[in-house]
Amino acid sequence: MTRTATVAARPATDGRRLRPKLDQWICWWSIPIFYNLFGLIFVYFTKIMPPPSPGLTQDEIVAFIRTNATNLQIGFVLLALTLGLASLSSGIIVVQMRRMSSARVLAYAYLAVLAVAALPGCLFCGFMFVLAAFRPDRDPRILVLLYDMGLLSFVGSLGCFVIQYLVFAIAIVLDKRAIFPKWLGYMSIWGLVTELVALPSWIFRGGPYAWNGAISFWLGTAIFVVWEVCLVVSLYGAVKRQPLDEILA
Amino acid sequence: MNAREARPGDLGISASRHAGREAKRELPGDVDVWVFVIGEMVVFAAYFAAYVVDRGRNQELFLQSQQLLSPGLGVVNTLVLLTSSLFVALSVRATRTADARTASQCLALGGACGAAFALIKSFEWYSKLRVGLTISTNAFFMHYYMMTGVHFFHVVLGLVLLTILWREIHHTDAPRAWVIESGACYWHAIDLLWIVIFALLYLMR
Repeated sequence: MTRTATVAARPATDGRRLRPKLDQWICWWSIPIFYNLFGLIFVYFTKIMPPPSPGLTQDEIVAFIRTNATNLQIGFVLLALTLGLASLSSGIIVVQMRRMSSARVLAYAYLAVLAVAALPGCLFCGFMFVLAAFRPDRDPRILVLLYDMGLLSFVGSLGCFVIQYLVFAIAIVLDKRAIFPKWLGYMSIWGLVTELVALPSWIFRGGPYAWNGAISFWLGTAIFVVWEVCLVVSLYGAVKRQPLDEILA
Repeated sequence: MNAREARPGDLGISASRHAGREAKRELPGDVDVWVFVIGEMVVFAAYFAAYVVDRGRNQELFLQSQQLLSPGLGVVNTLVLLTSSLFVALSVRATRTADARTASQCLALGGACGAAFALIKSFEWYSKLRVGLTISTNAFFMHYYMMTGVHFFHVVLGLVLLTILWREIHHTDAPRAWVIESGACYWHAIDLLWIVIFALLYLMR
């Protein structure tokens, strides 16, 4: 009541009324910015994507860490600084999920599960390699351990992402307001399956199901990239179509 | 499945949308489910390609390991799943002629066959695991467990969808044909994928 009165009284000076979706657009832009940084860190600096083989010998692993130490440090310190940006993308997705007619509990589950997933899926990997690069002259056997821990955590952190895709798919399919296109919900099932087929990366040191394998890594990453692009585009549409009175109410 | 479930006020729109679809002879089901089904085909094609490449590298091992599978159970499962598809197709036909009783009976039989497939598959895995043939036995069994496992997951998802379709037929006065068709498309896709998996794992020489 007070709020609408204020809005009506000072239309020209109320920033929210002038740019009612500004906060959401800031969050939206954070997504391409974050994923470009992510690519820069994992592909260019640290060379963790595509992952080096789990079949490397001890000497090869030590060489990978020692020759790559500075890049690992630059990359993963950058990650430690910027991983928080991912929360902005979760924020905007949850804001749009809360508009769905499907239960809000799915939106909260999405937020919670991604908050946990950031640890094994990203940060833990970074810590292991930054630890290895901190003292590259460490006992080679310990370097091998850090290498395995980092990469297994990165590719093998499945459970949280399975639930992320699942609650997202259920929310879209049950939603009657069509906030996101229904095919995006179905696509999330592909994402879910790619997490499941990465399961054998905990067992195999070679072949298509190893952590650098054609299925576990390449297929999974390709589907993730396609899914993420579709998500960002659908998110743009969802914010664009959101009626102003819904925001200002 | 329920995304476009009509609220009371939407019934007219839903019906006219459907009428337009029938008149123009469009795809069965909605477009979204076809995006899903075609995507699934592409993803499974990647598993098949990985299998064929690995097989080409070690044909002898794959042929020997293949002998350890149970082709009888594979054949039975293929027949069970084909029968299931037939029942689901009959159910779709019954929905189109507004024969809710037949539609629901056929769907239940289709679902029962699907469940039988899952049971037989579980028994087959159990019988292999019991004699020590696990996912890490060799490359062939890695592919065997992964392909049949991912397919199993899709069967379970399909059974959930069939349950939703069954509810649609039972709890609405006029079940929407496109909902039933969408679910049926997915179920047929699972059937088709199994036939390829069966040929690759059990029959390919």
